[in-house]
Order: sequence, then structure tokens, then C-alpha cells
Amino acid sequence: MGRGQRALVAVAAIWLAWAGYAIFIVAPMERTMRELQRIFYIHAASGLVGLIAFFGSFLASVGYLASRQDRWDWLALALVEAGEVFCTVVLVTGPIWARPVWGIWWTWDARLTLTFVLWLLYAGYLMLRRLSEDAARRAMLAAVFNVFAFVDVPLVYFSIRWWRTQHPGPVIAGGPGSGLDPRMWHVFLTVWTGLLLLLLVFVLQRYRVAALEAALEEEELAPMTDRAVREQAS
Amino acid sequence: MKNFWSLLAAYGLGWAIFFGYLLTLLKRLGRLEEKLRRLQAARQVSRPES
Amino acid sequence: MNVLRRAWVICAKELRVEFRTHELTLTTGFFVLLVAGMFSFAFEPSSTEARTLVPGLLWLAFLFAASLMLQFSFLREQTDDTLSALRLAASDPFAILLGKAAANGALLFGIELVFLPVFIVFYNLPLSLLSAPLLGILLAATAGLSLVGSAFSALVARSRMRELLLPLLLLPLLSPVLIAGAEATAEMFDTGSSGGRWWGIVLAFDVTYLAAAWLLADFVVQE
Repeated sequence: MGRGQRALVAVAAIWLAWAGYAIFIVAPMERTMRELQRIFYIHAASGLVGLIAFFGSFLASVGYLASRQDRWDWLALALVEAGEVFCTVVLVTGPIWARPVWGIWWTWDARLTLTFVLWLLYAGYLMLRRLSEDAARRAMLAAVFNVFAFVDVPLVYFSIRWWRTQHPGPVIAGGPGSGLDPRMWHVFLTVWTGLLLLLLVFVLQRYRVAALEAALEEEELAPMTDRAVREQAS
Repeated sequence: MKNFWSLLAAYGLGWAIFFGYLLTLLKRLGRLEEKLRRLQAARQVSRPES
Repeated sequence: MNVLRRAWVICAKELRVEFRTHELTLTTGFFVLLVAGMFSFAFEPSSTEARTLVPGLLWLAFLFAASLMLQFSFLREQTDDTLSALRLAASDPFAILLGKAAANGALLFGIELVFLPVFIVFYNLPLSLLSAPLLGILLAATAGLSLVGSAFSALVARSRMRELLLPLLLLPLLSPVLIAGAEATAEMFDTGSSGGRWWGIVLAFDVTYLAAAWLLADFVVQE
């Protein structure tokens, strides 16, 4: 890992440590849910970062389709994987929040439902890549699917929201614009920025993995190309 | 602290997921770099001096 | 328009192939029937319960059936590699996609028309529920889902486990259609409404994917 990347990891770690302090010490106590409400910071921030990751991967896939350069494919893959990780955290923290508050593990709350569908969609992306027999076409297929998947997101969002207004249920509280105390808002921004740095770390490393795998493939084929070059020369 | 265990579980699991993912990435990177180095070294050896 | 004419030719060819054997429509129709029956084994709804549950069941059954049926769209072209011939003959990937989607959509809609009354009968619902808005929203949804499903069929044609992969990719993507369709149908059953703003979702879905298919057809339909 280069010096710059190590620095990034260090910055992210320090920032997140500070965010941890902010969550537990700086953030004020919420009136009804008390301490439990602090889950909100990691829950909602992860959700937002996941969405940003998926949007980024959409752009990367468009970049791949436009340029056919492998590095856009690597970037798209890295962003989808990272996005899935953040989605998973949302889906894990949600029930842990819901259980003590409403006595139920799961609720088809708008944000949780949306995250679930997104998780499924992008799991599909990862599965499509894994099951593609045609390595040459794999990047292309994944990119097309990614575009189709992302344009669905607004449709999923609205249909779930209208569905939830039709059949109201428990709402796992708090979200951008839901009237957050300004101190909570500041803590939220801190956590959010920290997670964005974490996203950057994830994406850089995953990108390197993809690039290395490509380099390895070339290296494994190298003896054959060497031989071919030699045979040409003789 | 009310709901201490739930808070612990939430943040514990959340961070476990983040760290777990990062660790698998770093391990994978290590293995790949090692493999690449070996292959490149082998190729240097087998390539005749031109 | 040239594209439409080419698409029509392909659509006609696909339908002709299907009408020779009817294998797709028969098996898919059978599947819908099966789901309708199995639902009642699993839930045994009373007639009041049925009224609330059938809208969802309808759409689930049709979506499952569609995600199974749409595989074969491009899968057929794998044997004898007829896809290259098709590309040479039609030379417009969007026309190919549109033609196949139209054929699939027509077949699916036909199945829906046949089995809607079956659901009505199985769950003792009044025939008056078979309204024009219901048929309309079914048609609109079927058009969109056929388009996406046919495109995905091309994407997974050369993957492992494609029979499972296509539903896995398609169904999450179709959740807005499922939600909108089921909710609209429930509203139609309960209040006789014509579907309200749920139409917006379905039509937005159709327009979005028509545009996406048009932009990406070249990448989707390749050898």
C-alpha cells in the first residue's frame, strides 16, 4: 500500500474515532428512545453512503460503456461491493433498533424496505458477474445491468413511499430533513463524512484487487506471448 | 444506560462488518501481490538472455 | 418508422414460432394455474380475506410466471447460433429487442387474460372486477416487464445457472411494478377506483426502460 493510501486509512480511522466520541458523548439524548436512538447515526449515515456508492457505480458503468476501458469496470465493481457492505450495516442495525422500541425484529419501514430492495438489486449485479461464463463480456453485461438497476432506484423509492403512506407502519425515525436537533445534525454530518472516507478506503483497495487480478491474468498468459514473440523473431 | 446491549450489538456488528470487509480485502491484496511477484520472478528466470 | 417495421417482423416471427408448438404459453399458463391453486392450499382464505389477498396474489403469480417464461427469449437463439443471423438480417439491435419484447408481452398478456377469470372463479369474486382499468394496468405493466425481461434474457443467455439468475435479477427490479400493480388492483377491488397515481409508477417504469433499452440495445444484443 502506498504512502498516500496509508495516510488515507489513518485519516479515516482518526475521523471515525472522533465520530465515535461525538455519537456517544457529544450528541444529546433523545427524549423518547433515549440512548437507543444513537443507533440512528450509523444506521442512517450508512444508508446515505450506500446510496452514494451505488450512484458512483452507475457513473462508472456509464463510463465503461462509453470508453470500454477496464478501469471503469473495476471502479464500478468496487463501488457496488462497498455499497452492499453499507447496505448490510443498515439492514443489521435496523432490526436491532426496532426490537427494543416496538418489540418486533423487522418492520417494512420505508427506508428499511428500500434498502432491502437495493441490497437485492446489487446482489444481483455481483451474482451476474460471478456466474458469467464469458469473461470478455462480463464487464459489459455487468455495466448494462448496473444502468438498468440504478434507473430503477427512483421508481422503487416512490412506489415504496406511496405504499407506506397507504399502509402506515412503524417508522424507524430520523432522516435528513425530519427535524433533527442541530447538535444531532452536526454529529450526523461527522459520522457521514467519516463513513465517506471509509468508502474511499474500501473502493481504493477493491479497485487494486481488480487491477491486480487483471495483471495476474496477463502475467499467467505471458509465457505464451513470450514464446509467440520468440517464434516470430526466429 | 437503557438498552445498553442493543446499542453495543448495533455498533459492534456494524463495525465488525466494516472491519471484516476491509480485512478480507487486505488479505486478498496480499495474496495477489505475492502471486504476481512469484510469477514475475519465474518469468525472469525462464526468459533466455536476448 | 423503419425500427417499428423491423420490430414487427421479428415479433411476428417469434409469435409464429410459438404458435407452432404453443409450448411456452401452455407451460407458463399451467404455472399460473398452479400458483393460484397452491396459494389456496397454503392460506385457504375466506371470501372476505380473498378480496384483500387476491390483488397481491394475481401480480405475484404473473411476475413469477413472466420471470420464468422470459428466459427463453434469447435462450432459443443459443442453439444453432441464430442470433448472428438475426443481427445480420435485422441490423438494428433495438428492433430485435423491441420485437422480442412485443412478442413476449403479447404472449404474457394473453395468459393474463385467460387466467384472470380463473382467479375470479377460484376465489369467488364478482366478475365485475374484470374492469377496463384492471386490464389496462395489466397491459401497461406487462409491456414494461417484457421489455426488461427480454433484455435481461439476452444478458444472462451465456451465464451459468441462468434459469435461476434471470428471476433473481428481474424480480427486485420489478418491485415498483409489483407494488403499484397490487395496490392499484386492491383499490379497484375495494373502491372501484381506476388505479389512481399507481398508474404513474407503471407508466414511468415503461418510459424509463424504453429509453434505457433504446440507448443500450447495442450492448445488450451481441453475439
